Amino acid sequence: MTKTLKLNKSTDEGVIDLLRFLLDNKKIGGVFSLKKIEKDKTVAYCLITDSDELKDAVPFFPLMPVNAGNLLSRFTLKSVPKKPIVAVVKPCEMRGFVELIKREQGSLENIFIISFTCGGVFPTKTQVDKTLYKNIEKYWDSAKKGEIFSDLRPTCKACDEFVPYNADITVDIVGKNDFDKKCLMFLNTKLSEDLTKDFKGELSTGDLDSKKIEKIKLDRLNEKKKLYDEIGEKLNGIDGLIDIFGKCISCHGCSKVCPICYCTLCEFESPDSEYKPSNFESELQKRGGIRVPPGTVYFHLGRLTHISISCVACGACDDVCPVDIPVALIFKKIGESLQKRFDYVSGKNIDEKIPLITFNKEEFTEIEE
Amino acid sequence: MSKQLKGAIVNSKSGVQNTIIDLLLKSIEKGVFNAVLISMKTPAKDSFVYVLAEDKSLIKDGFILPPTMFVQGAKAVSSITRLGKGNLKIAVIMRPCEVRAIIELAKLGQTNLENITLISIDCPGVLPSSDFLDNPDKSIKAFNEAVKNWDDSIMRPVCKICDKSSMISGDLHVGTLGAKKDTIFIISNSEKGNEFADKLGINLKDNIDTWLSQVKKLSEEKRNKRKKLHEEIKSKIGGINNLVETFSQCINCHNCMRVCPVCICRLCYFDSDNVKFPADDYLFRAKDKGSMRFLPDTMLFQMGRMMHMSISCVSCGACEDACSMSIPVAQIFSMIADETQGLFDYVSGRSLDEPIPIVDYRKEELSEVED
Repeated sequence: MTKTLKLNKSTDEGVIDLLRFLLDNKKIGGVFSLKKIEKDKTVAYCLITDSDELKDAVPFFPLMPVNAGNLLSRFTLKSVPKKPIVAVVKPCEMRGFVELIKREQGSLENIFIISFTCGGVFPTKTQVDKTLYKNIEKYWDSAKKGEIFSDLRPTCKACDEFVPYNADITVDIVGKNDFDKKCLMFLNTKLSEDLTKDFKGELSTGDLDSKKIEKIKLDRLNEKKKLYDEIGEKLNGIDGLIDIFGKCISCHGCSKVCPICYCTLCEFESPDSEYKPSNFESELQKRGGIRVPPGTVYFHLGRLTHISISCVACGACDDVCPVDIPVALIFKKIGESLQKRFDYVSGKNIDEKIPLITFNKEEFTEIEE
Repeated sequence: MSKQLKGAIVNSKSGVQNTIIDLLLKSIEKGVFNAVLISMKTPAKDSFVYVLAEDKSLIKDGFILPPTMFVQGAKAVSSITRLGKGNLKIAVIMRPCEVRAIIELAKLGQTNLENITLISIDCPGVLPSSDFLDNPDKSIKAFNEAVKNWDDSIMRPVCKICDKSSMISGDLHVGTLGAKKDTIFIISNSEKGNEFADKLGINLKDNIDTWLSQVKKLSEEKRNKRKKLHEEIKSKIGGINNLVETFSQCINCHNCMRVCPVCICRLCYFDSDNVKFPADDYLFRAKDKGSMRFLPDTMLFQMGRMMHMSISCVSCGACEDACSMSIPVAQIFSMIADETQGLFDYVSGRSLDEPIPIVDYRKEELSEVED
């Protein structure tokens, strides 16, 4: 059983109260959370140092303008903060951060994580066309019931990793029918117990309702199967790949927003990937014609090779694609099957090395012949 | 366009598209070119991409005026010739803003035009990519209809205010404005253009006044529209608060920069190590107002990009199309570009002979900002 902290107020209020307590008592140096900015027109991740600013914080808002794993990496890449900060992030964002830490792109030192059981997020563009705000109440209604809301990112609808790993505090949200009245936090670590020591609330012990979690997981798995079947049909050999990725305009936005793609200069933007005039000439001789710039499908296959072992299926790539290629679903499907081969779940265990760097003499002997 | 343009009236009974494709095929037969860089449909028929084609049956599938611009053509030309001129003589057929970007890239040392012949065409604009993707078949029909009436209402916002849609800065131009039924103008702007016409038996001695006057009229109309829209934008985004609000949706995906034909840096300054700081520096900055948006430096990126490339911006609209947050980047940049270019009496991509103002230092300029 895990220690719990119960508050007689809405989950939002409860967590913000805790954050305010931590800031006001100088236990932490700052809060990293989603917050309304620009006269409430936009929700974005913010670094908050003044507790007054917490009035606009919306830590559980169903939007991921940027994967917070990326942001926490940026925050801790050069050096960690002297005083701890608290970050409220979604489970897949935390998983992305953990994968980046494994790649030495950040650190958990003095970073205290609050995460929550996640109902999924809306596509980012719904914040621009404002449909998000129209649907938000319905979203919370279905989150209470643990149902899948229809207008979410496809990868969210098919997400069965909605219970966070590696969080100091887990907040119970999805499937909790009174989360707008009661706040339930699980204090997973000694650190979380220390930090919340003088904070007023009802201490107890307990665990997430496993029956509830299993039921939600089952629904998500069904949705996943449906989506995988659809995309699987299209992902058919090289012709299928050309059909899917043919409209790619090579903006590489997918790699830029990906929490795992951390290279400062992508291989596919480097001189190594440039064609010489003679390369074009020999392609013309062979095939009579060549798409220019070349290497469209190659880029995606390369990116799959480089990152699918760590893909957390957050869906950021989907959101940013200007030509609506279902990148995230493809990467999720392939990432999952690859991770399965190594019995690896990206971002789950911070001490477990990435399979790519753990050479095992006796593995995959079946493909040696 | 101070120099005297030479042109010919050419029969186009088979349609503009077929007439030009025939000319290209003929020029390959005659060895004027070895290959053509032209837009084609993807196999899934949901996009148009540039293809370098030698095979004649492939060239027949080309589109001289595709309804969209998924990839700015200058990027394609740079991809082929950045590392050298190569052995192939290549004809490139693109829109005027694409050709202008190619000229800018040539000045920036990003393409070698020695073996390239640039052919532009009167451009009615392109459809926003997202509109096209919603229904490709319907979009193609709508575009063809719009071309007939030179109707820009369904085009990219910056196409609606484009006053350079017939600007000739390449070697040859296909003029359809002011042409009599079943004819087009073939206009030459260079020795390469003259040679092409000569080898194909096109006599550049016809009167092109109707094209010139029609272009002039249209450009003036567009210029007025452009000024009006720019004024509107200025009042909307002027001042730091409005500016911050305008770009507040930006998620730093840098799509705008990646698809921009003149943003040439392999590693953008704003993706480099120079903009990454220790954690406590960020906290120090946040303390100033009690809270700071993190992504940091989104505004800095936009302003930085403006400084770096607005002098060469051709207002093609690729950035706006690629923006996943629907920020009207291209409209804003077109306004800034007109200002910065106007300051130096420079028009991006107008002529290879005009040096980019940034590399053209003059002792006696902008003295008014010295005090």
